[in-house]
Amino acid sequence: MALRRASAGRRLFLLINSLFLISLVLTMIVPLVNVLAVSFTTDLESYENTIKLWPREPSVEGYITLFQRVAILRPFLNNVYVTVVATFLHVMFCSMAGYVLTRKSFVGKVIVIALVTLPNMIPFEMIIIPVYVTVKRLGLMDTLWAIILVKVVTTFSILLMKNYFEGIPKSLEESAFIDGAGEMTSFFKIYLPLAKPGLATIVIFQFVSQWNHLLPAVLFLNSSEKYTLQLALKSLVVSQEVVSTTQSVANNARMAGIVVAIVPLVAVYVFAQKYFIKGIMVGAVKE
Amino acid sequence: MQGRHVIVNDNMKSSPAVWQKLKRTRMIYLLILPTIVLFLTFTYIPLVDGLRISFQDFRFVGQSRFVGLKNYIEAVRTPGFWRVFRNTVILGFSNVVLTAFVPMILALLLNEIRFKVWKRFSQTIIYMPHLFSWVIVGGIWIFMLSPNAGIINAARSLFGLEPLYFMAKEAFARPIMIGVNLWKQAGYVCILFLAAIAGINPELYEAAMIDGAGGFKRAFYITIPELLRTLQVILLLNVMGALRIFNQIYVMRNEVIAPKIDVIMFYVYDRGLVQFKIGYASAIAVMIFLLTLIITLLAKRLIRYKV
Repeated sequence: MALRRASAGRRLFLLINSLFLISLVLTMIVPLVNVLAVSFTTDLESYENTIKLWPREPSVEGYITLFQRVAILRPFLNNVYVTVVATFLHVMFCSMAGYVLTRKSFVGKVIVIALVTLPNMIPFEMIIIPVYVTVKRLGLMDTLWAIILVKVVTTFSILLMKNYFEGIPKSLEESAFIDGAGEMTSFFKIYLPLAKPGLATIVIFQFVSQWNHLLPAVLFLNSSEKYTLQLALKSLVVSQEVVSTTQSVANNARMAGIVVAIVPLVAVYVFAQKYFIKGIMVGAVKE
Repeated sequence: MQGRHVIVNDNMKSSPAVWQKLKRTRMIYLLILPTIVLFLTFTYIPLVDGLRISFQDFRFVGQSRFVGLKNYIEAVRTPGFWRVFRNTVILGFSNVVLTAFVPMILALLLNEIRFKVWKRFSQTIIYMPHLFSWVIVGGIWIFMLSPNAGIINAARSLFGLEPLYFMAKEAFARPIMIGVNLWKQAGYVCILFLAAIAGINPELYEAAMIDGAGGFKRAFYITIPELLRTLQVILLLNVMGALRIFNQIYVMRNEVIAPKIDVIMFYVYDRGLVQFKIGYASAIAVMIFLLTLIITLLAKRLIRYKV
């Protein structure tokens, strides 16, 4: 409708605009294609100073190096473990807390609200030293549980779940209470099943953030058999090549490491895109 | 009617009713318990601990000595602290401004695209880097900028140019950090703006078109003013994150460019948990925490007064 009387100037604008946006999208796609292509090159080709958007002779040498010499499988599985356990606990605890915030009145509600919302103002980076001391005192140093527990509940998800629960009609719960149901039944049997879209959103966001966790691993893990993915990848992909010219691992293996870390994220993103968008919106409105 | 029914039976059922109410409330506390325990253990107690440690000559074994403001004084007298503070302010300020205004412009441009499939496709793609960890994003860019077969130097060689050691040039260090951060975050913020644009009342545009307003006029007089609230919220979020930069620098730094890009949170980590000057590092963390709090509160106040 708007385009019906497009003037010459407008058409020129639309053309330039399209070209600009295409080049913008290319700055996102080209690096990823480059990474993928290099990961499938031979050791030798991965060192050649050429633009690689497709491997000349496709090879899995890089992946073999990655799984045999670099032994990425252990960190990968550790990461899966941390991500699954932390996401499960996150969803349980945050939805429980979100539900409590929707209860009309109980003794100490004001205190509970304050305790639950204030951590939003306390960035993890700024308390790493005392958290390190705490983890050490609790005997959790060099365990995966340290990583799981330090950031397992977040104000963001609690408030998101609270908002979802508030959208569920009270009449359902009231009729259940008349039938003698308690808070537990009301939460598990009525509210939780009806809040599936909200649950999906926090599952996905927690999955991504746990999968990508770096700082807790840097702080709490010492022994290499406990390493999680990002920590293991850090030493692999971020070689100190600017300082020394000797590289221990070829480029193809470095890029294969990136591919292995990206694949689960892209898979989740492709299958659950609508929840991402939904979550982003809720997050922005909430703040 | 039901109310009266309850009152009539009150005497008979009074003790089970009270018991049931108690049981219900008890369940509420049970549901909130894990959250409270975890927040206390890993947020509140560390926060108080951090404050206490900052006044101590902290040691893990043996008695930690109370030293008053010694750590704070030592911090503000160390040139190294002011160097990382300066880096943080420069990087932080650039990130705050760029990752708000650039995505807004992108959203305005994307919104002009009529072809729906292409619009959705480009949104999907530009959001992707936000999903990736800093190890991934840092790794990709370090490789692309590398003199060892990096794509950018490969492209330069096509024009007969010598390979540039991008990551080893102090002059490039900050622009690279700011640019890569923008690359990672722009798509995400852009989607927030697109959502805000989608929420603008279409009647405004119809009225403007009847008045003969062209595309640019509609953008300037309707879309941009309607986006101001979103812009403010995004600026606020950016400000809250400005002083906490850590992951990007931890991943992308090297000894050559470190003097230009080392940020406060890296300094706190390095002095505190690598060199184990725990009291000193805690004092800095406390100061930065308070500074963040003040800036955040000021920004919030500013926003509330404006709109």
